[in-house]
Amino acid sequence: MSATAPPTARQWNDMDAFEAFLNDGGIVEVDDQMPDQYRSAVFAFIEMHANSELMGGLTERDWIPRTPGLRHKMSVLAKTQDEIGHGHLLYMVAADMGVKTRIEMLEDLFAGRSRFHNVFHYQAVTWGDQVAIAFLVDAAALASQQAVFKNCSYGPYRRILKRIISEEGFHMRLGEDRMMRIAQGTDIQREIFQDALNRWFWPALQLFGPDSKPNDLLLRWHIKSERNEVLRNKWVQKFVPMLQSYGFSVPAPDLSFDQESNTWDVGPIDWEPLKRTLAQGGPDSARRISEAKDNWERTQWVRDAMERSAMQADTGVSA
Amino acid sequence: MISSDQLTGRVQAAIARVDDPEYPGISIVDLGLLEQLDVESNGAVTVGLIPTFSGCPALAMIRDDVHRAIAAVAGVTDVKVAWLPSPVWTVDRISAQTRETMAREFTVAVRIGTHAPACPRCGAPTEEHSMFGPSRCRSVNRCTSCAETVEVMRS
Repeated sequence: MSATAPPTARQWNDMDAFEAFLNDGGIVEVDDQMPDQYRSAVFAFIEMHANSELMGGLTERDWIPRTPGLRHKMSVLAKTQDEIGHGHLLYMVAADMGVKTRIEMLEDLFAGRSRFHNVFHYQAVTWGDQVAIAFLVDAAALASQQAVFKNCSYGPYRRILKRIISEEGFHMRLGEDRMMRIAQGTDIQREIFQDALNRWFWPALQLFGPDSKPNDLLLRWHIKSERNEVLRNKWVQKFVPMLQSYGFSVPAPDLSFDQESNTWDVGPIDWEPLKRTLAQGGPDSARRISEAKDNWERTQWVRDAMERSAMQADTGVSA
Repeated sequence: MISSDQLTGRVQAAIARVDDPEYPGISIVDLGLLEQLDVESNGAVTVGLIPTFSGCPALAMIRDDVHRAIAAVAGVTDVKVAWLPSPVWTVDRISAQTRETMAREFTVAVRIGTHAPACPRCGAPTEEHSMFGPSRCRSVNRCTSCAETVEVMRS
């Protein structure tokens, strides 16, 4: 077996020693006596990622019956299963950190007490929105996750991320396929996509967040490997010319191109919409959260049945 | 003019470079998806692939990737790629070396028979936590020793 034996629980005398370990490329494992600040910062990050996968998966699921054509329907089915599966893995890893149980995390999510990505606070109105999400938002999410995976100091998260980003790469290809098909479609199809683009361009760009603070602890502790503004700028440089090359217009009134540096500038970014989503005040936040909560309640019978079945298997007695 | 053996070799090599869309670096040949390959002397190539699961959403993408890879081989005049309804894919078709790569690179174990698959990280047995993971060909297990979250590929 290619196994590397897990290290026995380690501890550090103080934050300096811990940070020196991280700066040496050290990987923290679940049994280590990590500093409380590190534990809670990493936990909050993974919890938000898990919440986002679950909320994203539920949105995908809503689109299964509404997706046009078998080819796209299969891809939506697959994405639904992927996102829910990723959420499941991430909730396991987060719960293992001992800050909140899985149930506590879900209860906080359904009560609007915890965060998930801004893009899941908006409504997907037409199939064009689903194309824009798969093409623009998935690319933004993948870029952020790749930047975390690149240098992630928390071992269990790093190993899960490796599989998640491989699958998100697959989603991006599905997104490109959807975009190519709608871009080569009728005038009406192109119009539907342009409308969706007008709705999703800014939320996708804001997914990266405002400029990183100089003392960002997630950067310092090797959870993030790149500053938000650097990732955001790379995304702009890729997608602005690509959308234009397909004949779509980028909904940024102050968009400009600098010949000298060969770069695009989208102009000032209004961060108010992002702030509203972080406080569960986005255009679709309330409906999304209550849908997720209803879904959890409607599926209670499955969990009850599984528990009874496990109990029967253990005791041989039917409950 | 190249011999048909040479052409067959080139086509085989081209197919072996097609990765599974969800496992970068792992070829579809290593996963046992290639069932049939006919290379005729006039350069016509027919490929039969079998899916891990019949509802797998990556089928169109894999077929297109294989088609593109073969069409790019010098001497190939025509390409036909089809998904075959039989035989049924099983995890036994994954080569031993590939199983090791999956364990090492992706922390994914492969369940052979009914044995509890070993944890890719520490080698201890794992227990099933959920029958399905992010795809239908995988369950989610947990290591009974180091508590690692492990995905298990199974047929």
